[in-house]
Amino acid sequence: MWLPLLGLILGIALGILTDIQIPTVYENYLSIAVLAALDTMFGGIRAQLQQVYDDKVFISGFFFNIALAAGLAFLGVHIGVDLYLAAIFAFGVRLFQNIAVIRRILIAKWEDYRVKKRENSSQSR
Amino acid sequence: MTKKMYIHITIISFIIGFMLAVQYNTVQNPEKQETVDVWEIRQDLSDEQKRHSQLLTEIRQAKDTVRKYEDEELDNPEAILAQTVSQLKEVAGVKRVTGPGIVLTISPSLEAMEFGYEINEIPPSLLIRLVNDIYRYKGHYVEIGGQRLIHSSAIRDINGKTTVGSVPLGKTAIEIKVITATEEEAGKLYNHLMASTFMDEFFIDNMMLQVGQPQAAITIKATDVEISHNYLTEYKGD
Repeated sequence: MWLPLLGLILGIALGILTDIQIPTVYENYLSIAVLAALDTMFGGIRAQLQQVYDDKVFISGFFFNIALAAGLAFLGVHIGVDLYLAAIFAFGVRLFQNIAVIRRILIAKWEDYRVKKRENSSQSR
Repeated sequence: MTKKMYIHITIISFIIGFMLAVQYNTVQNPEKQETVDVWEIRQDLSDEQKRHSQLLTEIRQAKDTVRKYEDEELDNPEAILAQTVSQLKEVAGVKRVTGPGIVLTISPSLEAMEFGYEINEIPPSLLIRLVNDIYRYKGHYVEIGGQRLIHSSAIRDINGKTTVGSVPLGKTAIEIKVITATEEEAGKLYNHLMASTFMDEFFIDNMMLQVGQPQAAITIKATDVEISHNYLTEYKGD
């Protein structure tokens, strides 16, 4: 579990230390891309916990979601409708759902573990 | 978790971290864009050059004084000290000054008198602008309505009356005397004032600004105000 966290910290450190900035015009696209990326990552973790994880789905989902979100925002800017809100809404809802599922699975696993431990201790007596 | 998946999630979280940091940088310290136009920069440059040449002139004068001191140190140190003191007194405004310059007169305009308009006080802002322009065109010493302008003189409105150094100016003809370093500079100042918009601006306030021809000798009296120097102390040397 520590390796992804290390990756995250490394990424943040690299970004802050290099002090890269993007033009303010593209700020919206980046924020939406971050949201899409977070959604994909939590989706991946959930899939793994439910044992349906697939490499192709995960990697393609990551890039496709980012591209779609940025594309929607771009289209929205050009036709004067805040379409990026649609992407934020969709990803936001999915993010919460994924995290909720991950939480339930983890709680269920923990409960299982406790029950097993109790049974083991009662058998050994 | 398989090893492959671990690596994928690590890469993805690295990318997310990087994107987050870039977004943070962009939101927190947006780059300031340079919006100065080329002409503004040129203007600044020319201002700095003027200051440069002014500083050079001052340095030359100071060097002259030092040289004089050195030359005459042995002969007559008192005379040179007295001369410096007298120069400083002229600059500070505690001594009468005579020199080439021009005289400006501000009086109610003929139209205003003809039609019986009410004559107002000279607006302090206009007077301040005029004085600033005079100083900009090398007017060294200025007297307004008998009041010598010194470093601490204020031109302002006190209870509806325009005052110079707390003395009300009055509404009738007011004389402004300006002394310049040379007659040539007096001529330049005269030309500048004749070409400026000051006459029109005074006319808006029903006043007439007359600029006199440059004269060889004008006398400006010393200031009546006592110059306070509470915060100055004697320099004891190193």
